[in-house]
Formats: sequence, structure tokens, C-alpha cells
Amino acid sequence: MRLRSLKYLLKQGVSGLWSNRINSFASLCVITISLMMVGISVLISININNMIGSIESRNEVTVVISDGTPENNVNLLGQQLGENPNIFEVTFCSKDEAWEGLLSSMSEEEIRDFRYIKDNPLPDSYRIRVKDISELSRTVSEISTLEFVDSVESPDDFASILVGLRNVVTVLFSAVILALIIVCFVIISNSTRTSVYARRREINIMRYVGASKSFIEIPFFIEGLLIGILSAGIAFGITWLAYAEVYSMFSTDVSMLSIFGFGAIMPFEEIALPTGLSYLGVGIFISAIGTVIAARKHLNV
Amino acid sequence: MVEFRNVSYTYPTGQHALNHINLKIDDGEFAFIVGANGAGKSTLIKLILRELTATEGEVTVNGFNLSKMKKRMIPKLRRTIGVVFQDFRLIPTMNVYDNVAFALRVTDAPTKYLRSRVPYVIGLVGLTQKAKSYPNDLSGGEQQRVALARALVADPDLIIADEPTGNVDPARSFEIVDLLKSINDTAGTTVMMVTHQHDLVKYFGGRIININSGTIAFDEVIGGADET
Repeated sequence: MRLRSLKYLLKQGVSGLWSNRINSFASLCVITISLMMVGISVLISININNMIGSIESRNEVTVVISDGTPENNVNLLGQQLGENPNIFEVTFCSKDEAWEGLLSSMSEEEIRDFRYIKDNPLPDSYRIRVKDISELSRTVSEISTLEFVDSVESPDDFASILVGLRNVVTVLFSAVILALIIVCFVIISNSTRTSVYARRREINIMRYVGASKSFIEIPFFIEGLLIGILSAGIAFGITWLAYAEVYSMFSTDVSMLSIFGFGAIMPFEEIALPTGLSYLGVGIFISAIGTVIAARKHLNV
Repeated sequence: MVEFRNVSYTYPTGQHALNHINLKIDDGEFAFIVGANGAGKSTLIKLILRELTATEGEVTVNGFNLSKMKKRMIPKLRRTIGVVFQDFRLIPTMNVYDNVAFALRVTDAPTKYLRSRVPYVIGLVGLTQKAKSYPNDLSGGEQQRVALARALVADPDLIIADEPTGNVDPARSFEIVDLLKSINDTAGTTVMMVTHQHDLVKYFGGRIININSGTIAFDEVIGGADET
């Protein structure tokens, strides 16, 4: 394929896009919506993962050892905890360390209230950290069954909500995206059929004068490519604006900050490139490939 | 060169369009194909253009064995054939120049060649003054000349004219055939012209192939009135 032909085919693709503008617009809208659904789903997943990661990084489960457990058994319990596949860090915290830690976290007034307590009431404990927070509940149950464990204190409620939310988002959005992709292919197929019909005279002549199959198909591919690129650009712009609003809400709203803390939502700059590339890739894949498949079906060259 | 060796074609509906046809048209020949509607003339043309593949026998066109040819070779075959249709099949949104150039553009011909070849061919059919006109501004005869220029522009070995005078007034019909004859004489291009107009055949004479019910009923050379 020479440059002069490419120029000609590019012109044909753009002209096809314009002459078939109503269908092209329909394809553009549905692909933009599909891309945004993909984007929203991915962005929600990225941010939930970010939140879960943040919880995981500072998660600490306290395994309270039964009072009066002999030192050998305390060590044995430590070994058993270390053998659990979902535990990656086990730190022993003696009752004295726990007491000092408690006092250091208190204000002077609170310490004064504690001055009458003669004996350290805190137990020995192990502080552990888990690898996968989604497995936290199961790990806590396993630890609870171990001998010499008095109780297990874990912050698993919020994490489990987030994990559940991520799973719901994944399933829900996967179904919606799949449905939208099917709709995209149907609309692209109809649009291409109309485009083929509108250009049937030229295509017919092309066949008789010996145009190659690819020469006949390329303008349709270019049409699809342009729709894909435009859709990706529009979807990216809308996502950017919407995300900026959400980010501002999470960063400045006191009630949101109290629930999620600082840095719960990633700034768009950090995810703009992968988001943009994903939009472009998926947009081009759906529209250009869809157009070529449909063109082959309707052209019958 | 076009050669049919014991060729039959049966449509998927079961209709036998051609039955054991044997035909050879040598390079540089001019042949009229005549016959009633439904006799098999269109099927014959479609087999030459490889729109259809013979159900039996072997078709050879310009060195291509169409019975064994792969689908991807069809464009290469068609670049050696120029086709003229009864309904002209011009693109109304393109002017005369672009309609003719279109046949070269889609075959990736060099721009320099296109710029010299297209005006030459338009001149050959006598439409230099109308190069910028659009098909709808031209008469039937002129439109057919544009179609002929488009068929000629890629310098084909064979021209198939499928009822080229069907939509043209009688006086212009003679001009069209005259033009085809002169192309045949000067460039040595093989011409196969399908027609219903017996007056044209009688006037120009030459090789006449009459197809009747899917078989060749008559294949002879007759003298024309223009020779007298």
C-alpha cells in the first residue's frame, strides 16, 4: 500500500463517516457510553483496591494470649501463627510493652486516672499482619481455634465491606459492559451495512476494475478507527471532569474524610495515562474491528 | 484470449444456464454475442469476470485458469479486463475525469501515469471538452463514452461490453460500436460485445456468436454492411 493510496483511502474513510453521519453518531454515542462504563468500573476498582491496600498496609490483628500461658506455649503459638499462609508478619508484644504503649498514647489527664492501678491488667499478645485482607475473616477464625488464644481483635468489618463492594462492582459492571459491547457490535454492524449500501455503486465498480479486497475494506476500517478515537477522546474528557468532582468531594468534604481519610481516592493525574490508553485501545478495538467484521459480512468481496 | 472448454453452469436453484460450451476468442478478435433473454449470455460474462465459477469444464481468460484460480487473484484478473455496462455505472458525484481516474486510483497506479493516461483516454473517446462535467449533465451516448474510457484507462487485454448501446439512441449506438471497433483495430484489444440490436451486428459484421438455451447455436464470421 503506497502513501498516495493511503491518502485516498483516508479521504474515503472521512467522507464515509460524514455521509453516514447519523449512524456514525449513534455508534459514537454507544461506544462512548460503553467506554465510560468500562472506565467507571475500572476507576472504582482501582480506588477500592487502593483503599483495601491502604487498610492492608496498616492492618494489625491482635491475638490476645490466655492469661498464665507458659512461655513455651507462647512460643509455640507464635510458631503456629507464622505457619499460617495468610500471615506475613508476627510480632510478640509482652504485657509490659503493651502497658507502656497504652500509657504513651494517653494524655496526662488520662494517665492520672490510671494512677490507682497497681498491676498491669493487659495480657501478652501477638500482633500479626495478613497478606490478603479479603481472607481476613477466615484467618481470624483459624487463629481463634488455636490453643492458648483468648481472643482475636481485628478491624475486618470495613475491609470486608470494601471487598464485597469490589466484587459487586466487578460482577455488575462486567455484565453491563458485556451487554453494551454486544449493543455496540449490533449498532456498528447496522451502521456499516448502511455505509456499504450508500457506497454500493462505487464498491461495485471497484470490484469490476480490480480493486483488492483490502482496498475496498480499508475505508470502513478508517471510519471505525475514527469513531473509536473520537469516542475515546469524548469518554476521557467526561471521565476527567466527573472524576475531578468526585476527587474534590473526597478531599474536602469533612464527613467523607472522616470515613475514608486522606488519600483514599487517587488523583486523576496518577491514573490518566492508563485510563486514556485503555479508552483508546478498547474504543479502537470495538469500533475498528467491529466495522471490519461487519464490512466483510455485508461487502461479500 | 478467452477459452471455454466443455463449460457448464447450473445455478443453485437448479437452472441450467450453460451446457457444455466450447468457445475460443483469440487475442485481438472482435466478437458479437447475441441471443434471446435468458439464453445464457449474462452467465457467460459472469464466468469470464469470475463472478461465477463453472460447475463443469474449464474457463481460461488472459492466461488465468478461472476454474483453479484462488479468490485473492480475482482483482488481478479483472485488471486485465475492461467492462462496459448498459446502465453506464458512473459515479454521479464524480466528474468525467474522476470517474475515469477512479479505475486507476483503486488499483494503486502511480499518480504520474494517472495524470498522463486519463486525459489521453478521455481524448480518445472525444470528451476532452467535457472532462469537468458530471454524468448527469451528459447525454446517454456521452455517459457511455465515459464508461468506455474508464474501461480502457487501465489498458486491458479484453473489453467486455454488455449491451453498451441499450440506453443510447440509435445514431449514438453506431458511434459507440465504431469506437469499440477502432480500439480493437488500433490497440489490438480483444472485444466481446453482447447485444440485442441485430441492425448493429448486420452493419458491422465480424464474428457472431449466438447463444440459445445455454448452448452455442451459431458461431461464424459474417461480412458487414460497412465493408461494402
